[in-house]
Amino acid sequence: MRLTDASVAIRPRGPWEALDLGVLLARRHAGLLLASWALVTVPIFALLCLLLWDYPGWAIFAFWWLKPAYERLPLHILARALFGDTPSLKQALKALPGLLRPQLLASLTWRRFSATRSFDLPVLQLEGLSGQARSQRLVVLGQRDAGAASWLTVVGMHLEMALWLGLVSLFYLLLPAQIELDWSWQSLANAAAGEWLWLEHLSNLLYVLVLIVWEPVYVACGFTLYLNRRTALEGWDIELVFRQLRQRLTGVAYALLLGCGLLLLQAPTPVMAAEIGSCPLPLEDPRGPEAARLLKQPLSSQAAQHSIEQLLDQPPFEHRETVTRWRFGEQEPAAEPSEEQLSGLLELLEKFFKLAEFWNSIDAVALFFEALLWAALLGLVALLGWRYRQWLGVFAGRLGLPQRTATPPSRQLFGLEVTPQSLPEDVAGTVEQLWAEQPRAALSLLYRALLSRLLDDYRLPLNSAHTESEVLRLVEDLEQSELSSFSQALTLHWQNLAYGHRLPPDELRQTLCQDWRRLFDDRVRT
Amino acid sequence: MMSEHTPEPLSPAAAAPAPAPSNPAQQRQRASQLAQALRQELHKALIGQNAVVDDVLTALIAGGHVLIEGVPGLGKTLLVRALARCFAGEFARIQFTPDLMPSDVTGHAVYDLQSEQFKLRKGPVFTNLLLADEINRAPAKTQAALLEVMQERQVTLEGRALAVPLPFMVLATQNPIEQEGTYPLPEAELDRFMLKLRMDYPEQAEELSMVRQVTRSTRADMLDVSPLRTLLQAKDLLAMQKIASDLPLDEQVLDYAVRLARATRTWPGLILGAGPRASIALVRGGRARALLRGGDFVLPDDIKGCALAVLRHRVRLAPELDIEGLAVDQVLQQLLDQVAAPRL
Repeated sequence: MRLTDASVAIRPRGPWEALDLGVLLARRHAGLLLASWALVTVPIFALLCLLLWDYPGWAIFAFWWLKPAYERLPLHILARALFGDTPSLKQALKALPGLLRPQLLASLTWRRFSATRSFDLPVLQLEGLSGQARSQRLVVLGQRDAGAASWLTVVGMHLEMALWLGLVSLFYLLLPAQIELDWSWQSLANAAAGEWLWLEHLSNLLYVLVLIVWEPVYVACGFTLYLNRRTALEGWDIELVFRQLRQRLTGVAYALLLGCGLLLLQAPTPVMAAEIGSCPLPLEDPRGPEAARLLKQPLSSQAAQHSIEQLLDQPPFEHRETVTRWRFGEQEPAAEPSEEQLSGLLELLEKFFKLAEFWNSIDAVALFFEALLWAALLGLVALLGWRYRQWLGVFAGRLGLPQRTATPPSRQLFGLEVTPQSLPEDVAGTVEQLWAEQPRAALSLLYRALLSRLLDDYRLPLNSAHTESEVLRLVEDLEQSELSSFSQALTLHWQNLAYGHRLPPDELRQTLCQDWRRLFDDRVRT
Repeated sequence: MMSEHTPEPLSPAAAAPAPAPSNPAQQRQRASQLAQALRQELHKALIGQNAVVDDVLTALIAGGHVLIEGVPGLGKTLLVRALARCFAGEFARIQFTPDLMPSDVTGHAVYDLQSEQFKLRKGPVFTNLLLADEINRAPAKTQAALLEVMQERQVTLEGRALAVPLPFMVLATQNPIEQEGTYPLPEAELDRFMLKLRMDYPEQAEELSMVRQVTRSTRADMLDVSPLRTLLQAKDLLAMQKIASDLPLDEQVLDYAVRLARATRTWPGLILGAGPRASIALVRGGRARALLRGGDFVLPDDIKGCALAVLRHRVRLAPELDIEGLAVDQVLQQLLDQVAAPRL
C-alpha cells in the first residue's frame, strides 16, 4: 500500500464528507462494481428461487441473510482500485473464494445484525484481524465514526425499502388496465392457489435489482469511513506530505550534500594525538544495543534492561485502562476458525438455554412487580374514594339509596329541641302536670310538640328563621281547619306569654290538652 | 282581624287619648283604632299599595322619615298628599330641582325696607309634613340642608337654632330608573331616613279598580284626595307616638332586632352593613307596627315585617353580587331567612 498512489485526496474529513467520498468512489467504479455484484448475486438468487420455489418469503430471506458474504467482493475491488490497481472483472471473481474464507460463519451469524457492518468489514478483510485483536481494533476505530456508520446502515435500510417499493409501484403502474382487472379477479378467485408465486418471486427480483445499485455504494461508504478514521489515527495526510516533500527535494538534497562535502574537503590537518594510537572500535555487533554486555560488571546490561522495563511498566510510564463491554462470545482463539466457531456456537446455544432459565427465574420477580402495581392501583382507587367520599355520598343520595331516606331529620329549631325523642311520651299529660306551677314551661312544651309534629307528620319546611306567625301561615296553607285553629290558639297564647308576659287563663289548659289529644294522640295510636 | 273594627263610632276629636289617661290599655286600644282608621282612609286614596301605606304609617307612628322609591306614576306623591289631607297639621312641599339652594329649603334673612332691619324668613321645612319630591334631582349641598332638621328637628338660621314644629316628618320620593342629571343621596342622608319604601306596580284587580275610580273623578288623570276625612290632629299623633314608644318589648325581641342589624355587618354579600341607627329604627318600627296591628306588645313578626324597609338603604351590596344581578332585597331576604327568630 503506497499512499502516494491513492486515487483520492487523503486528508482528514468529517464523517459525512467521508460518506460522500464513498458515494463518489462507488460512482467512479460503478460499472465494475455493479457487474461483479450482479454476477455474484443474481445466480445465487436464481438458485435460491429454484430451491425454495414454494416459499418465496424464505428465498428472499435467505438471500438477504447472505448479504455480508457478497459485500466482500466490492470491498476487494474498491481497496485495490483505491491505489490504482483496479482489478478486471475476471480477476475480481477469481479472488472471491479466497475472500469468503475468513470468518464467514461469524459474519453470517452473530455479526449479521451489527449496525456498523460495512465499517467493520475492512478490519476483517483488509487487515486480516480476528478475535481479540479485531475487537480491540474496532474499539479504537469505533471511538469516533461508529455513529455515522450506524446511521449509514439505518439510512441504507430505508433506502432499500423505498427503492423497492418504488420499483414495485412502477411495475404495477405499467400494467395495462385489462390485465390488472383480470389479475384482481384471479387473485380474488384463487388466492390460495400457488399460481401467483412467480409474482412474489418477481418482487423479490426487484429487491435483488435494488441491491445491485445500493450495496456497492453502502460498502464504499463504509470503506471510506474506515479510511477516514485511519487517516486521522495514523496521520496519513502528514505522512503523505512528508513523502511528497522527499520526492520534491531529493535532487536538491544530493546537491546540497555534495556541496557540503566539497566544503569540508579543505579541513585542517589532523591533530597530533591521532597518530599515536586509537582505542579499538567496538566490534560490529549484529544485535546492537540489545546484546548482553558488561557481563563482568556488578550491573550487567541485561539486569539494567530488566529494571528499566520494570520501571517502564509502572504507573508514570504506563497508563492502563480496563474497558469492560458486552459482546458476543469470542473467547475462543481464532486459530482454527471453523471448529472453534462451531463449538462457540454450541456454547452460545447453551447460553441461550441458560438465558431462558434465567427468564423463568425472572418470572417470579415479574410476578412480584405485577402484584405491587396492582396493589398500588387498588390503593389509589381507595384513596380517591376516601378523598371524594362526600361527593360520592351526594351522588349516592341522588340515586335515592335507602339509607339516606331512612335518616330522620335531626333538628334544633328556634333554639329548641324539637326531635320526637326529646319530647315526653304523653305530651298532654305532662302539660297538665306542669300547668299549675310552671305555665311557661307547659305552654313551651306544647308549642314545641306542635312544631315537632308539624315537622314530622306534615313535613312543613320550617327553619329557625321562621317567626310564629310565619309558621301559622304555613299551617294555614295545609288547609286543615282543626289543626290551624288549634295552632292559632296555641300561638296566640304562647306569644302572649313569651312576649307579652301574660299568663294564660286556667280554663285554657283543658281545651288545649283536649285538642292536642284529639289531633295528635289518635294518630300515634293508629 | 282588626280591620273588622270600623272607625265610625269613634269621632276623631274624641279619640284623642291625651286628656284622658285613665287606662293605658284602653288608650292603646283607641290609638290603634285610630291608626287603623287612618290606614283605611289612605287605602281609599291609594289603591293597591297596602304594604306601602302600612310602612308610611309605621314611620309616622315611629316618628321617622320615609324615602319612597318607585317608577313614575305609581302614586308616590299622591300618597303623601293623601296623608297630608288626613292629617290636620301643616304640610309643605318642595320640588327638588338642580338649581334649588339650601336657603330655599331652610329659609334665610331678608332685609325689610319698612322696618329697616333683617327679618328671618322661614323656609318650607318649618312644617309638620314635608314632601321632598324627587329629592335626588337637587345637588348634594341642597340635600345636605335636610341633614340637621331630619336628625335634630331644628334648623340653624343666622346662628340661631330654630325648632321645627312637632310632629315632623319628611317624606322624600325618588325615581330609581332615571339617573341622568341626578345626585344619588349620600350615605349620611340615607341613614337618616328610617324607612326606604319601594313602590311596585299594583296587582291587576287593584289596577282595574283604580282605573275605574280615576276615570270617574273630575280631575283628568289623578285621583281626587279632597273627599278624604281629616282624622288626625298634631297632638293626637304625638300621643300616638308616645303610646307606641311605651309598648312593652320583650328582651328576646330586642335581641332579635339587634342581631338582625348586626348580621348585615358580617354578611358575605354585603360590603357595608347597617349602623346602630338601623337597630333603633327596627325597634321603633316594630313598636309602631305592633300598634298598627292592634297588639299590646311587640312580636318578632313586627320587627321582621319592617326589617327590609329599614335595612335596604343602609347596606351596600358587594360588587360581585351586583354584577350577578342580585338586588339588595334578595340578599336581605336571604339574611332574614337565616337569622334565627327568637323563641322562649
